[in-house]
Amino acid sequence: MPFKKPVQKFSAAINAVELGVGENKIVLGGQNVMPFYTFDNEIANPPKVGAEISDMGFEDQVQGITGFYADCASVADMAKKAAALDSVDFICLRLESADPNGKNAPVADCVHTAKAVSDAIDKPLVIIGCKNDEKDAVLFEKVAEALQGKNALYLSAKEENYKSIAAAVGLAYRQKVGAESSVDINLAKQLNVLISQIGVDGKSIVMNLGSAAAGYGFEYVVSTMDRVGAAALSQNDTMLQMPVITPVSTESWSVKESIATQEDMPHWGSQEQRGVSMEIVTAAADLASGSSAVILRHPASIETISKLIKELI
Amino acid sequence: MAKFITIGERIHCISPAIREAMNTMNPDPILKRAEEQIKAGATYLDVNIGPAESNGIELMKWAVKLIQEKFDNIPLALDTSNKAAIEAGISVYNRSKGKPIVNSADAGDRIDNIDLAAANDAIIIALCSKEGVPSDNDERMAYCQEMLERGMMGGMDTADMWFDPLFLVIKGMQDKQSDVLEAIRMFTEMGLNSTGGLSNCSNGMPKHIRPIMDSAMVAMAMQCGLTSAIVNPCDLRLMETIKSCDIIKNETLYADSYLEI
Repeated sequence: MPFKKPVQKFSAAINAVELGVGENKIVLGGQNVMPFYTFDNEIANPPKVGAEISDMGFEDQVQGITGFYADCASVADMAKKAAALDSVDFICLRLESADPNGKNAPVADCVHTAKAVSDAIDKPLVIIGCKNDEKDAVLFEKVAEALQGKNALYLSAKEENYKSIAAAVGLAYRQKVGAESSVDINLAKQLNVLISQIGVDGKSIVMNLGSAAAGYGFEYVVSTMDRVGAAALSQNDTMLQMPVITPVSTESWSVKESIATQEDMPHWGSQEQRGVSMEIVTAAADLASGSSAVILRHPASIETISKLIKELI
Repeated sequence: MAKFITIGERIHCISPAIREAMNTMNPDPILKRAEEQIKAGATYLDVNIGPAESNGIELMKWAVKLIQEKFDNIPLALDTSNKAAIEAGISVYNRSKGKPIVNSADAGDRIDNIDLAAANDAIIIALCSKEGVPSDNDERMAYCQEMLERGMMGGMDTADMWFDPLFLVIKGMQDKQSDVLEAIRMFTEMGLNSTGGLSNCSNGMPKHIRPIMDSAMVAMAMQCGLTSAIVNPCDLRLMETIKSCDIIKNETLYADSYLEI
């Protein structure tokens, strides 16, 4: 009897969410198969790779990162430089300077930066806040107002501030809302329900299920993504069919493997090599677990992960 | 396994308002009840036009188109003893949200409704009785087997045969309730889907008791593997119970607002 290949194709699918405008716009999600299972069905929109830049610059980073941006005079220049890489699908601007416990830059300054970055690039833009819930709520509202029509994604609305962010980003300025749930699967669904109840279309939501560097509780990230994927595809749970974006670099570049210098840890070898490895390993595992987009920092990681995706899909 | 399927029972010609609407082909009362049930979370809607011997074909076609066109092709259960009316209904039925259900066949006079479902790629509700109430589960399972074979002979996917154990009224048949649950358990062990007129169990009880009794019955039946039921979806307590059981059975992921979706 000839071998008949079983096919695991689901009738439900992950939402296809568009980011950006014009010819370089991208689509996250849309697949109705397990991650990279192209043998079960075509994956029309392969996972996307974003380059992270910060409005504080990258001065204290490893040589491969600072060196790459060395000739950039402004954040907009950095964005332009990163966006010029073929392997970069979108730019992710972190408005770190807004942090009230840090530089506490005024919202107006951040809006100015975001606008300059958006004007400098022709690829989609993802905005990451300063991790202060109250400041982010104000920040996102003003940035979304300034970037009307740019169809940017904002990371993230959380349980503490989703109301104002969803209303401003999703409803008033018609852009994409990131829903962040810190590796809590029930909260992931709940946030999607709450944001939907405000009136934001489920197809304007992207989930940030949370991340961890490989080796730092990463198995919780994997099991969360697995369960979300199963609910979305095999249980047709419309409240979990939003594509997943995972900010990798902020996690992977803050663990000891990436920040311990070679002087401190001579037997660990090159710090840069270690950091890049952590970033690549974490990103590859996130993609294999179902992320539709990853955010990376080091040009070598971006290049490698982009190649990995192209080879597999 | 999958989430529990509710079939809304409130479009039924036994209700005076619906009977009147069907007699005069007045859409409003039917659409109103359809909308109420969909909002309350019904997966399928049952459309019972009664025997409709004179105008069944016309009436079923009208009702199917009316409800599906208004409500995004909500899947329907076509409920009448008039076979031609069921076939007519299926001929205009839109399958994009689910196959039509033929309600129903039994192991007696109505066994050929299984053939009808098979010929039309529909789901059949297969009532495990022949003449009246089966006396025990040996009899129930013999009917189940008989209908299962009939369906398989006709080329049906057994997943499209939803076996009905025949829920019995508790008042007067209290000693038979465990049998019903046991029959559901046996269907489940055979890998079969199941359904039934759940509210029959609380027939004759005071109005305020019925939701409590129906909820207890559905919870126990779901634990035995019941996969769907014909219910009044506007019974909030019942629907909340079903949603909660789906969570406990891990058929749907918990979120604090799970009762609202």
